[in-house]
Amino acid sequence: MHHHFIDRFAMEDSPIHRLDARVKLLAVLSYTVVLISFDRYAVAELAPMAVLPLGLLWFGRVPVWFALRRVAILSPLILMLVLMSPLYDRGLHPVAFGPWQYAVSGGWLTAADIAAKFTLGVLALTALMCTTPFASLLEAMRRLGMPQVIVLQLGFLYRYLFVLIDEAMRVRRARDFRGAALAPMGRRLAATGGVIGSLFSRTLDRSQRTQLAMALRGYRGETRSLKRLHFHRSDAVYFALVAAYLVVCRCWYPSWF
Amino acid sequence: MANELLSVPVAAATAAVGAAAVAMAVRRVRLTAADQRSPLMGVLGAFIFAAQMINFTLPGLPGTSGHLGGGVLLAILLGPAVGIVTMAAILIVQCLLFQDGGLLALGCNLINMGVVPCLLGWAIYHGVAGGAEKVRAWRQYLAAWLACVVGVTAGAALVPFESAASGVLQVPLSQFLGLMLGVHLVIGFCEGAITFAVIAYLRRVRPELLGLDPDEGSSASSGPGYVAVAASVLVTALLLAGVISWFASSCPDGLEWSYRELRPAAGDRAIQNQSPLVAAVERWQQRWSPMTDYTRRTSPLGQLPVEASEAASQAASAWARPDGWRSLAGVLGTLLTLGVLAGLARWTRRTPAAVLRK
Repeated sequence: MHHHFIDRFAMEDSPIHRLDARVKLLAVLSYTVVLISFDRYAVAELAPMAVLPLGLLWFGRVPVWFALRRVAILSPLILMLVLMSPLYDRGLHPVAFGPWQYAVSGGWLTAADIAAKFTLGVLALTALMCTTPFASLLEAMRRLGMPQVIVLQLGFLYRYLFVLIDEAMRVRRARDFRGAALAPMGRRLAATGGVIGSLFSRTLDRSQRTQLAMALRGYRGETRSLKRLHFHRSDAVYFALVAAYLVVCRCWYPSWF
Repeated sequence: MANELLSVPVAAATAAVGAAAVAMAVRRVRLTAADQRSPLMGVLGAFIFAAQMINFTLPGLPGTSGHLGGGVLLAILLGPAVGIVTMAAILIVQCLLFQDGGLLALGCNLINMGVVPCLLGWAIYHGVAGGAEKVRAWRQYLAAWLACVVGVTAGAALVPFESAASGVLQVPLSQFLGLMLGVHLVIGFCEGAITFAVIAYLRRVRPELLGLDPDEGSSASSGPGYVAVAASVLVTALLLAGVISWFASSCPDGLEWSYRELRPAAGDRAIQNQSPLVAAVERWQQRWSPMTDYTRRTSPLGQLPVEASEAASQAASAWARPDGWRSLAGVLGTLLTLGVLAGLARWTRRTPAAVLRK
């Protein structure tokens, strides 16, 4: 099982882990809104925005290299767009850093801005996922008004994701050992279709069995959970801190920078 | 789609539209919940993730591999409502668990990868394949191919418009659109082939999943036929050439721009080549090539073309002009390239697969 590959730090314990999942979710959501509301030429203004994700990672005892590796894995597509933008926006913009003053083309400013926003956004999401178990996050979504049906689907997706990926990798290995890569194109396609098709029909059967088992145990459309979310004073303090921090970053970023 | 390409108002508007579409799909699934085929769509979402692990190498492109995208197959097999709800669950998990696709871009992604491909793909597949009772394999193949190409490409074509409405990206709309359309035509083609293979397998093995009579389903187990496959390959290539030349011709591309416009302080071109041989070759090429710079000649064959005025070319670069001659040039070029490639393939026939078959 590869169950703990992505969210393997979520089950640990730290002051951040102990916060209410609702508060953490709302904090990251409002952080992202503030992040993308910055002007497209804002680069230096984004520097204070790095404090929250790095702080969450630090106090949540998540290694920063782990989060940075997530950024690197996800970056290729956005990198392509970033590298395209200096080619087109060539108007000059004055940039000052202390006593030094430059004129930089708008395209490079936009490129740096998009790259910074991307990195910070992924870091914030990684910090959330590495300090919150997925089940608590689902409970938080339900309590925040997400429809029951969607929450249920998300729970089942998460539950069976790694089971089915394991199964698929097993079947793929079996197919490759039988020399499918050397077969002519039509056969190769048919083999892939057969593998995916059988996976599909087995998945349908599995979900029907699960559905029947749930119905027999008294499932009537809503889930009952022993997991309770508790809103402590520390949660209120955390949320107030984040809100103040975001307001300061957005409205009063240091103009001398 | 990522957060950074959107502004807050666009993100909010698309989130509202996406949420409304998912809510309608949920209602529709509830209304037909007596149907025992779609009890737990979350498990189907996990299936799509797993099916993406099963890739296969593409012919002629070593090092690349195709895999299933997902939404269109689910919409064809289980209806658009189930497809949309499942894609919503997939996209949310992809965003939260794998941090792929931004939190605020969820609405955009829902529309681009869930709602549009599911609805369009389902409608086209059932429109082309007709009643599911008796459908020939080649017709089924063409239906799956068309559904995937149109569904996937239409969804992807929305991305440039959403980011243009946000005003973040400075890349011209036509360039971005051409890039997205080109890449997704290829993706849609591969997805269509796999979707057909899956449907053909299910037809043969579990026809009742497709709503068929178990006794009659095995009739369509043969391959799609070479004519249908060749036709789909050809049409995809032609579309690719037509679309890309259509949009790419509106502005000079990055490389061309970088040496034409990037004038150093000396006020001259960055690339200079004074060799008389180069000049002679260039003049000869301008005189005799039938379609210089992907468009119709303005001067008779054998004479040098008249220099176009700078102002006219400036005005032309504002938006992709529907220039039929450029599209024709692209299409003819594709046909020629395909011919050369086919000849090369015939010449280098002794691949490992051919050795194995002997």
